Amino acid sequence: MLILQDLFDVGKLFCDVLKLSGDKLRVAVVGFGKMGILHAGILNVLPKVQLVAVCEKSGLIRRFMKNLFRDVSVVDDVGKLSDLGLDAVYVTTPISCHFAVVKSIYNLKVASSVFVEKPLASNYGEARELCDLALKFGDVNMVGYMRRFSVTFRKAKELLDQGVIGKPVSFSAYAYSSDFFGVDKNSKIGTPKVGVLRDLGCHAMDLALWFFGNSKVKKAKIDSLFGKGSEDSAFFEVETECGVRGKFDVSWCVDGYRVPEVGFTVDGCNGVMRVNDDVLELNLNGGEKFRWFRHDLGDGVGFWLGAPEYYREDECFVKSLIDGKNFEPDFFSSAKVDLVIDEIKAKAKNK
Amino acid sequence: MSSREKAFLVGDNPFHGISHLSQERSRIRGDTPTSPEYAAKLVAIAVENGANGFMFSVSNTTLSILKILNENGVVEHLDLYGIVPYAYEYVRMASQKGGVPGLAKTVAKEIFFSGNFGAVFSGLNGVLRAKPISLMKAYLAYEISRIKTAAGKNARLNCVLLHQLVTDVCLGFSLDWLFRAYVDFMLDNGIKPGFNTGNFAFLVDKFRGWRMNLEDVIIAAPFNKVGFQMVPSKENCEKALASLPRPNVLAISILAAGYLKPEEAVEYIAGLLNIKGVVVGVSKEKHAYETFRLLRDKLT
Repeated sequence: MLILQDLFDVGKLFCDVLKLSGDKLRVAVVGFGKMGILHAGILNVLPKVQLVAVCEKSGLIRRFMKNLFRDVSVVDDVGKLSDLGLDAVYVTTPISCHFAVVKSIYNLKVASSVFVEKPLASNYGEARELCDLALKFGDVNMVGYMRRFSVTFRKAKELLDQGVIGKPVSFSAYAYSSDFFGVDKNSKIGTPKVGVLRDLGCHAMDLALWFFGNSKVKKAKIDSLFGKGSEDSAFFEVETECGVRGKFDVSWCVDGYRVPEVGFTVDGCNGVMRVNDDVLELNLNGGEKFRWFRHDLGDGVGFWLGAPEYYREDECFVKSLIDGKNFEPDFFSSAKVDLVIDEIKAKAKNK
Repeated sequence: MSSREKAFLVGDNPFHGISHLSQERSRIRGDTPTSPEYAAKLVAIAVENGANGFMFSVSNTTLSILKILNENGVVEHLDLYGIVPYAYEYVRMASQKGGVPGLAKTVAKEIFFSGNFGAVFSGLNGVLRAKPISLMKAYLAYEISRIKTAAGKNARLNCVLLHQLVTDVCLGFSLDWLFRAYVDFMLDNGIKPGFNTGNFAFLVDKFRGWRMNLEDVIIAAPFNKVGFQMVPSKENCEKALASLPRPNVLAISILAAGYLKPEEAVEYIAGLLNIKGVVVGVSKEKHAYETFRLLRDKLT
């Protein structure tokens, strides 16, 4: 029996090696909105990847895609991807569909490796279930918290780990965009049902978990500016397991944020660090000051689409597929973001 | 090369409140440059000091600026370089309208009510038969008519460039036939076809591979002393630039988004082959005066 099992393992290993040593990794994208287009475009130029199929619900977009991509299969249902011998699937659907789509990918054995755009799911219960499925059926997984691949935040993490500002004492974070700034309350425009916390605030929470470790929500307030149960801005306070206290301000109705921006100010025993998508500044207690823009931090990539961090993120996922090893932000680290968001909502409700 | 042949273009980034150095900087800079009257004044000052063109993304803001430039008689001293679509506005619209299908419906409505019958016919044909080329032609006809209406009959629409995001998505998907259709459509309309790209070396390589005539097109791409946004590297971009058959590249981001001093930025550009011109955004009257004087002095 043991010999049979060994033979099976060797056979599986041989197949895996054969698959990976073949020309290219076979990848499909589910959901061809702006993030689907962006990832598919980058994947298509990565030398070890072949975009094999796209799954899209909208009939109109599917018809156009069939005329646009002559060598790519276009389907309307995830199940139809199962016979394509895929190495990985990118899930870039609306957030509310992540759970059902990823579940189908695993259960129908469409592919054993999955990349999901952020956040992982619509609540922690779903996120935990996806983690269980990934452990049971999956190989490699990743969630699109692309700011971990930004040169400014990477440098900030490096400096925090080196203790350049000493032990962090407290921090304040923001995640702002102008997506709905100036929109009339009575207009037909609707904010995404998923709310600002899961759409935008999740980036700040993921970075805070990465920088400072797990945290508990102490206070929370969520405001609706457009009515009908919309969540348009949020303010909350957390405390990490190490006793670092943090404040977050999140909104998609702030003027001057043409592209979404996330930033932190961290107070440490030996100084203050300020970091956002564009710049990193250090003010040390001894009077020394440092400032780095993207220009100073080696922001070059092989192909530029959207922002350099998307390329690095996709490159990292492809590397993890080849190495057969998870890199963060994976399902397990990202599920913690969904947990914190659920805590914020519960706290805001019970206020 | 005579100064008339070299293009010194006023860029519109500050008019949209954009700073690629940091968003914070544009917030601190305030709203002044985004007022169409003030922006038109800056363009006029730049023209008095050596600018001979205006490069702009086609948006309500820039169309208002063009209208004022037309009324003031400045437009006839300018070559116009329009960039379509104004991608960031469309991305924002997609967020507000529930994604790409919602965005498509909104744009289709705009074209339909524009009264441009050629665009409407081509657009309907594109939608009914799911033909990307017909849809692209409808959209381009609509945008060109918007520019011409705002800029008036004395304006010279020299070139229409595909926005960086669209160019680079099409490059990513290797849509050579779409690039070709774009070039043919523009040439048929007597307008120079252009491409704004963040992947200059990649684009040159791809166009060569597809046997597209690089002499037919204008390319706008980042070139600066520190290699900011020069993908995959400064060296690769310089090499690709030197390999072109003729000067048809408009250097953008020459100041690396305000990271470099104008003097050192211009010195670097002056040493490059095949640069047709430069594009620089200005947010203050002093900048408009000094920058274009410097460009005219050092690059002609």
